Amino acid sequence: MTKSSDTQKPSGWSRRRVLTTAASGLALAAASSFPMPAIAQGKKLTYWGGLIFSDDANKLLSDTITAWGAANGVATEVVMINQNETTQKVSAAVSSNTMPDALDMGLGLARLLARQSQFSDLGDLYKKIGDAQGGWFQGPDTATDLTADGGIARVGIPFGVNGNLLLRRKDLLEPAGFTEAPKTWDELVTQAEAINKAPVSGLGLALSNVGDANLQVAVLQSFGGRIADDAGKKVTLDTPETRLWLTWLKNAWDKGLFSPGNTTWDGAGDNQAYLSGQAGFIANTGSVGIAAKKDDPELFEASAFSPLPGGPKGIISPIDVQVRAITKASPVQDEAKALLEHLSSPEFMNAYFNVAIYGPVLQAQEKLQAFDGTNTILVGLLGLAKNGTAPAYPDVNNAAFADFGSNFLIPKLAQRVVVDGWDFDKAIAEAQAQGQAIYDKY
Amino acid sequence: MTISDAGPPRRRLGSGLKLKLFAYALVAPVVLLILGLVAYPFFFAIWVSFTDMVIGSAGNFVGFKNFEYLAGTATFWAAIRNTIVIVLVSDALKLVIGLGLALLVHQNLPGRGLFRSFLMLPWAMPAFVAFLTWRVLYQPIGGGINLILNQTGLYTGTVDWLGTRNTAMASVIIASVWRGFPFWFISILAALQSVPKELYEAAIVDGANTWQRFWNVTIPSILPVIIVTTLLSSIWTANGFEHVWLLTAGGPSDATMVFPVLAYFGMQTQRIGEAAAVSVYMLPVLAILVLFATSLMMRREE
Amino acid sequence: MASLAEVASAAPANAGAAARRRVLTGRLLSYAALLIAVILVLFPIYWMLATSLKLPRDILRVPSLWPSRFSLANFEKLLADGQFLLSIRNSFIVASTVTVISVIISSFAAYSMVRFRYRFRGIIGRLILFAYLTPGSLLFIPLSIVMAQLKLGNSLTGLILVYLTFSLPLSTWLLQGYFRGVPRELEEQGMIDGLTRFGALLRITLPLSAPGLAAVAIFTFTGAWNELLFALVLTTSESVRTAPLALNYLITSDVLPWGPLMAGAAISSVPLMILYFVAQRFMVAGMTEGSVKG
Repeated sequence: MTKSSDTQKPSGWSRRRVLTTAASGLALAAASSFPMPAIAQGKKLTYWGGLIFSDDANKLLSDTITAWGAANGVATEVVMINQNETTQKVSAAVSSNTMPDALDMGLGLARLLARQSQFSDLGDLYKKIGDAQGGWFQGPDTATDLTADGGIARVGIPFGVNGNLLLRRKDLLEPAGFTEAPKTWDELVTQAEAINKAPVSGLGLALSNVGDANLQVAVLQSFGGRIADDAGKKVTLDTPETRLWLTWLKNAWDKGLFSPGNTTWDGAGDNQAYLSGQAGFIANTGSVGIAAKKDDPELFEASAFSPLPGGPKGIISPIDVQVRAITKASPVQDEAKALLEHLSSPEFMNAYFNVAIYGPVLQAQEKLQAFDGTNTILVGLLGLAKNGTAPAYPDVNNAAFADFGSNFLIPKLAQRVVVDGWDFDKAIAEAQAQGQAIYDKY
Repeated sequence: MTISDAGPPRRRLGSGLKLKLFAYALVAPVVLLILGLVAYPFFFAIWVSFTDMVIGSAGNFVGFKNFEYLAGTATFWAAIRNTIVIVLVSDALKLVIGLGLALLVHQNLPGRGLFRSFLMLPWAMPAFVAFLTWRVLYQPIGGGINLILNQTGLYTGTVDWLGTRNTAMASVIIASVWRGFPFWFISILAALQSVPKELYEAAIVDGANTWQRFWNVTIPSILPVIIVTTLLSSIWTANGFEHVWLLTAGGPSDATMVFPVLAYFGMQTQRIGEAAAVSVYMLPVLAILVLFATSLMMRREE
Repeated sequence: MASLAEVASAAPANAGAAARRRVLTGRLLSYAALLIAVILVLFPIYWMLATSLKLPRDILRVPSLWPSRFSLANFEKLLADGQFLLSIRNSFIVASTVTVISVIISSFAAYSMVRFRYRFRGIIGRLILFAYLTPGSLLFIPLSIVMAQLKLGNSLTGLILVYLTFSLPLSTWLLQGYFRGVPRELEEQGMIDGLTRFGALLRITLPLSAPGLAAVAIFTFTGAWNELLFALVLTTSESVRTAPLALNYLITSDVLPWGPLMAGAAISSVPLMILYFVAQRFMVAGMTEGSVKG
């Protein structure tokens, strides 16, 4: 694993401290032994962990599981799966019956596989962990209830909240007279305009065929727009609110505020723009903060995190929840449950939060050292866990909505207007028709 | 070359049956591998395209529903248009560049081996790294291409190569030509080297000038190679995925959307049936190309 | 132009200085054109190398054609834990195995189709090309199922098998053309001298086709060395990662670590580049017969 050079770090975030916490987590893992059912010879527990943008976090997870296995007499194999490929890998594994015993993943994939009855019911464990740690936060609790998808409420144990925070360049904004984070999308445009001088573009927001660009769905919703009706059946894009959002977008575009290239960015586009010092604002999950901290501490010091701005209808800041699940076909159900319980322990999670980029899911986690305010990214993520909106809200979070998102119809609508120069009516009509065609499939 | 003279002389030809068995035995491994690992998955995929399969479900037969749904999307028609454009334009460019460079290197120049090696290097880079590198070169700010334009004073502005409709397709094609021309270059160079010298000598005796010799001797001699290379390269380009995916992912809007990328999006949305249908839509065109190629090759055997 | 060389060789001996000057001008122009082409071809490769020698921060914050500060930090970072070298080793195992097997069985198949007439020859020829036609995106789920059934998922053996199916069609096709160029009489002569038919193939046809075999081997090796999509789907464990896959895994979540990525690209391209420099002569020679008479 690579170690970043020891540059000056904000207080409370020294590598030593992180490693000590991690080490104590490991020691605890080794020391604590759960009452385990007798392990049949030759049983092995395979765990697929999501590889995230933090070598330390990946290593900590993998070492902890290995240590737990050694302490409890379970043979373990941990495979870290690059999150960019989780979907393809899991697709292939499900088709060929080579799924691991347990894995972690995002909510979207969990929902889909729950519909195909791939997972065990973890309702008891969910309750047990929640009761022990002050209850679950409202957001993750609502979001991970998958009763509508396959009939089982809890197929996954939530372990981290992620979502977009607004990242801004304090060093450029303060001289321009803006010390506070923008509260509304209109304010964001005003501030971005003030610092929009080459080589810096005010808004490093993606408008390409990529997940990042689905941020515009939240913007649209905060302007009062909706993807579909309350039944989650009929697409409702042809509204004045949609035009309101498009007006906001086109206005910002025509002012030249968006980063060049943002209509073909991949997932790393906004990071690159920001780390190159070419973007004033980006919406990001926190990975950019970590990257800056490592390679460009100066830039990190010059940055500030804040919640996403809101529109006339308030703030829409959707959270995503990472969950750990157990596959139904696994022969080591009890062992896997014990492992998941162990991975929810405050000791491990504190160490993990310190090196990963997730917000808390349990009320008691707010008291952990990780969220004591020294780490600005984690403070932002804590806010997200408490105040973030449920996925898709105010829309109905169903399979059709997910498919609509995966087809990037809202970013495409934006591109029709800003790239192809279509008028609003024509662009909206197309998106409405395509969207309805997707909703009709479900 | 030594010919062993051990052992008694044999009959020149074995019995018909033995020969046939020998012939079949030689070709069997290739046939079995292709049947098992290409043909079976291929027909499986065709079946899938007629179902509503998503990840983890067996899928129900839904007839032509996937095909109808796709044909109703604007993106699908953009993919047809763009796939044709990319295949035609990039193959034409590869032909011109490959032929031109092959002709240059074919001369009796000192040091031509070195040029030959250098010109093949784009093939040595892993495709995904090659196109990621092109992505950086195309970056509006700090990208290599704009840097050169700005520093040499050829152009002082910022060109958003991949981000506007006017330049995105051209940029994708240039990168894919860079990566793909070595195959053409080598094929044509090889063909040039096997044109019999006597033909040129005869043409000179007939008083043909350089240009006439090129048109009447060189081109007809290498035409079969060019046709076969064109067919193979068209199939590769039409199935090629990395260049578009890594540079633009089909954007901006649908300016560079092509079939393989559309299929990949289908995979990402987990609707395997639809993704398979996208690929199946490509098959008629590809099948025509392949049949054309095989009949050409078979004919050349005679 | 095509036949400047011919012009040179055909210039009558008594031609004056004018003709010689024309030849010289032609040469200079050729060199100029080739030089421009080489510069254009090499620029992206240069960019890769230059980026791999820059400091991470400089790559993004100080865009420049020439690294302002040289550093080997990216290479150190990449090679620190030995994982990347392991993936290079895996790639080497896969690519060489595929190359050896592919050359052997495709030469057998090509020989059979060239030298014998039998009923299914036309169908087999079409089947082999049909393997080209199939878009990879269509195959990866079905293939992963087949591999799982064969218990070859997540193994180098499985990758080797899959890459073979991709390399065999082109190899078989190229070699067919090549074998057609080997006169039948030579083989018959050998058989009169006591070789079996199989012996004649091994002792006469294959050695005579050495350049063709070399060309096919290099194509195959390149393809297997650089393949990413199927490696991604078919393997999971770190121990069976190939080089392109290891590079791909450097990209976690949404951050592109350009420095280590380009360092890795440089390391994994170098063996192939050396191979090309050594073997390009064979490749052209090998395709000469194969392509034309094919």
